[in-house]
Amino acid sequence: MAATQLPKGLIVDLITPLSKDGGIDGKGLERHVKGLMPYVQAIFLAGPYMGEGTGLGPDQREELFHKTLLIVQSRLPVLVWISRATDEETETTLLLLKKRIEALKYAGPVLWVDTPLYYHSNRGLESHYKKISSLVEEPFVLINDPVLVRGKDQPLKRINIRTSILKGLASIESIKGLIFFGSLDRSYNYRKAVRSCIDFRIYDGDESRFLEHPSLNGVLSKGANLAPAAWKTITASSLNLNGNLEDYPDRMRQILDAGRYLNDLKNIYKGYGPGFFKQVLSKTGLIEHPASPDDSEKCAGDVERIIGLMEEHRNYTSFKTQS
Amino acid sequence: MGVIEQVKEVLKIEAQGILDLVDRVGPEFEDAVKMILRSKGRVILTGMGKSGLVGRKISATLNSTGTPSLFMHPAEAIHGDLGMVTRDDIVLAISNSGNTQEINKLLPIIKQMGAKIISFTGGLNSPMANVSDVIIDVGVEREACPMGLVPTTSTTATLAMGDALAVVLIKLRQFSQKDFKKFHPGGSLGERLTTKVKEVMFTDDHMPVVRAGSLVKDAIMEIDSKGIGATVVVDDEKRILGILTDGDLRRALIGQKDIHNMKVEDVMTVAPKSIDEDSSAAEALGIMELYGITHLIVSDRDAGLKGVLHLHDLLGREDFKLNGGHAVT
Repeated sequence: MAATQLPKGLIVDLITPLSKDGGIDGKGLERHVKGLMPYVQAIFLAGPYMGEGTGLGPDQREELFHKTLLIVQSRLPVLVWISRATDEETETTLLLLKKRIEALKYAGPVLWVDTPLYYHSNRGLESHYKKISSLVEEPFVLINDPVLVRGKDQPLKRINIRTSILKGLASIESIKGLIFFGSLDRSYNYRKAVRSCIDFRIYDGDESRFLEHPSLNGVLSKGANLAPAAWKTITASSLNLNGNLEDYPDRMRQILDAGRYLNDLKNIYKGYGPGFFKQVLSKTGLIEHPASPDDSEKCAGDVERIIGLMEEHRNYTSFKTQS
Repeated sequence: MGVIEQVKEVLKIEAQGILDLVDRVGPEFEDAVKMILRSKGRVILTGMGKSGLVGRKISATLNSTGTPSLFMHPAEAIHGDLGMVTRDDIVLAISNSGNTQEINKLLPIIKQMGAKIISFTGGLNSPMANVSDVIIDVGVEREACPMGLVPTTSTTATLAMGDALAVVLIKLRQFSQKDFKKFHPGGSLGERLTTKVKEVMFTDDHMPVVRAGSLVKDAIMEIDSKGIGATVVVDDEKRILGILTDGDLRRALIGQKDIHNMKVEDVMTVAPKSIDEDSSAAEALGIMELYGITHLIVSDRDAGLKGVLHLHDLLGREDFKLNGGHAVT
């Protein structure tokens, strides 16, 4: 895979729109993805947080992947989380999704996203990836997420990928990047370890960190589900994607407005999971059903506050133009 | 996070940006240095926005250290300033992303003109990199400034790489402190040398003067009290007859003369070098360098005494002292 096919910039941590029967809400998915596409550089499916990947069954994941590929039609890279509880389950999921690509004869960029320590220890990771990467042609992006690993029923002793192990993994041809959660110090050590792999990209997994000190490869953002245009403004500015940092008359004002908007949103949704996002998107008419509606008074109030902000900043959201 | 913690984090991010470059310096840097050393032209810096400001600083540093350089604004270049570039020049283009539109319009034209291109960029596969003869990687992991309002770590890293280039060139050119002063017109020395002689000379009571016929011992007291290592010898009408310096006294002593009771005319240097008070300090320094002297008398057209200059006061008394003609800082 050429380096230029790796996304650089805004990767949306997509919510998984579900229908009442537990299947994928295809229409909601289509509306949401099409609304996001003008603003993002890639779409991440079935992620452990917004995508509810830890709770999705293999069939749901396959259906989500299939429907998304049909919507995206090769116009953007699609990243999909393959991690399951064991090596075998992960491998099975990978092959299942691979069959979808083959069935659709899909030629667009797809990247397998895997959190290795979710089901495998540091020991033997290199040979594990040599094995599973031989099963598919598409590249892999890894996730280092100590919080997710720690949250497992029987967490591993080490909750971060060891730096020396990452160095070895990065030398595997098909492993092209890392979505990073963790301390700044660790991110520097990782960067140093993969320095010789010139095309290897490390993305910020923590969108708050990105807003403060942006990584120059990009960010995995859950907030982009709600405010893709504002996230695009900030990401483009941070990564200089437009290639021009000259101060056009209101550039600073636009960035400050967008940044304030994103921080305001974040301060409201930071305590909530994907269900909250779905309630907001359901209220805006974008998706059909919030999978697990939270009827608490606080949540309902916060949903209204989010929608109020989105309406106020209509320049930074696609929803009004979509409806 | 408190203010102190934020400051520390920003400094850490910026420092890390520079440290990361250490591992990435490779043979392409040597290629850039060789290219500049072999060049008969100038190093022309170009960059937009903050990169342009960094380019201006690098250009100034190169100029101060013996590498002829200038800055060319990419937008102005397209509107005519490109005429300043010759095929002997090297263009050093700065863009963190390598996608800066103005630069990418410019570089193919420069390439066509035959000038060499060095790029400082983090975009190693960018259009700017693709058209460059040498690519220096100045990419950083992350910016310190929120929301990309302004480039921070990337400009710091670029600036540091520019300094590295200048320092290496200094060493390879065997550029000395003396050369630095020659090429450093904007510094305190430069300012001092653009002043008129009359603004830096000793006059009135600060000026050491003795009349002809005075005893050498009286002249020694005058030299000692005025503290510049010499005294002017004048006639009754204050016309200059000569100068008596520490060196004259030393040479007289070596000749085993009983100098204390001699008259100053017997020991002084006659027809001393002099300069007009409206001349520049730079001209005065030139005369001193030419004749190997440290004092210069300031006179009018009729050889009337107006003042005395000392080398220390031209070069900056706080930085220099007599040490066989070598500067000690």
